[in-house]
Amino acid sequence: MKLPKTLLAAIVIGIAVQATTSCSKDKDVPDPKKKEVKKGGAGSYPDSCPACGMG
Amino acid sequence: MAQLLSSIACNLDADILSASLPLLEEERVEAIEWSFDTLFNFNEIPPWFLDLLTAYSNEKRLIGHGVFFSLFSGRWSSDQNEWLKHLKQSCADFQFDHITEHFGFMTGKDFHSGAPLNIPYSATTLNIGRDRLKRIYEACRCPVGLENLAFSYSLDEVKRHGEFLDRLMETVNGFIILDLHNLYCQIHNFSISFDEIISLYPLDKVREIHISGGSWEDSTTDTGRKIRRDTHDDATPDEVFQLLEKTIDKCPNLKYVVLEQLGAGLKTEESRNHFYDDFLKMEKIVQWKNKTRFLHSINSFLPSSILLNEDIIEDDTLYEQQLQLSAILETSHSYEEAIHLLHRSSLANSVWNIEKWKPYMIETAMKIAQKWKK
Repeated sequence: MKLPKTLLAAIVIGIAVQATTSCSKDKDVPDPKKKEVKKGGAGSYPDSCPACGMG
Repeated sequence: MAQLLSSIACNLDADILSASLPLLEEERVEAIEWSFDTLFNFNEIPPWFLDLLTAYSNEKRLIGHGVFFSLFSGRWSSDQNEWLKHLKQSCADFQFDHITEHFGFMTGKDFHSGAPLNIPYSATTLNIGRDRLKRIYEACRCPVGLENLAFSYSLDEVKRHGEFLDRLMETVNGFIILDLHNLYCQIHNFSISFDEIISLYPLDKVREIHISGGSWEDSTTDTGRKIRRDTHDDATPDEVFQLLEKTIDKCPNLKYVVLEQLGAGLKTEESRNHFYDDFLKMEKIVQWKNKTRFLHSINSFLPSSILLNEDIIEDDTLYEQQLQLSAILETSHSYEEAIHLLHRSSLANSVWNIEKWKPYMIETAMKIAQKWKK
């Protein structure tokens, strides 16, 4: 599926910023109020998804 | 038969997105599957990620895959209520073509703690599962599906899983995700042939197929035996691609073929190249199958009506047994200790059939539960 070039460029920048996390349990997620978290980025897993990686 | 869409599981994760970017740039990704509940408690999602979801949502090519609902917990929890509210809001924000969850119950006392494990296939669990599926449908108002489980304690469970899924989904005219790597785990761990296991699934209910990689682990209770685990942290094995080729033609209502891999397994350039190559292999199979599939009207997987009881179905005995099992799996230091405690628990001589559980799978369940314990 074709995506707008502006969106693809924004994803590239978002990946580079490296901030938030995905597929995390609430205890794994750094509290954005307590820690400096750069907004607008995508970080890496502090832990994997249990359901995805269960076996 | 529906036109098949080559898809990826895509979440807000730098490693997954980095691996997916070349595929997105080359316009190869026809749909994305988003685990909408993995950003639970996040106050802010970057606007560009929302734009990515919206782009697929607008084309009706966004599918939602829940992780944390714990469908078969014997007791209803406030977290499940919150999960449904979150789902309802997500469905107001995006147009999902369908919503799915995982089979099993989560070990651990708290929501988001532990790993999903199998349940006894009984009237009690069937009623609880049907009740929860209705509630999910009420929240999302789109087709609802469940994924087959990678883990089983016994061959008997493996053989009954498909039929139980079939009976479970009747209540919402739902569908199943057939995870072929999960099937690959069962084929290896229980020495069952593909032809036999695939014949035990309601293939007319398959709307989505997952492919992914996993890992091997040595058993200590059965020396020399290797256990296949669905860890999603490696490239997709050739055997799983072969299963994909064999399975697609058997599934007349199939629409999505999804490549899944965890970000943890996509940190190196080499692993991202493997992911790219795996997608191309999958895409080639999908495109070839699309040329030979005959298009006709397909199951909408929408229920004609839903009768939802106000009273939430619960079962205290099941709940207590789940707590006991979770505690044993999470805290036992050895297989011998776990089996001793299991035989002294209320699971003994019950519908759980622990007497038939394979030692190497109890050992594996301990590793899984202890891996995810928080």
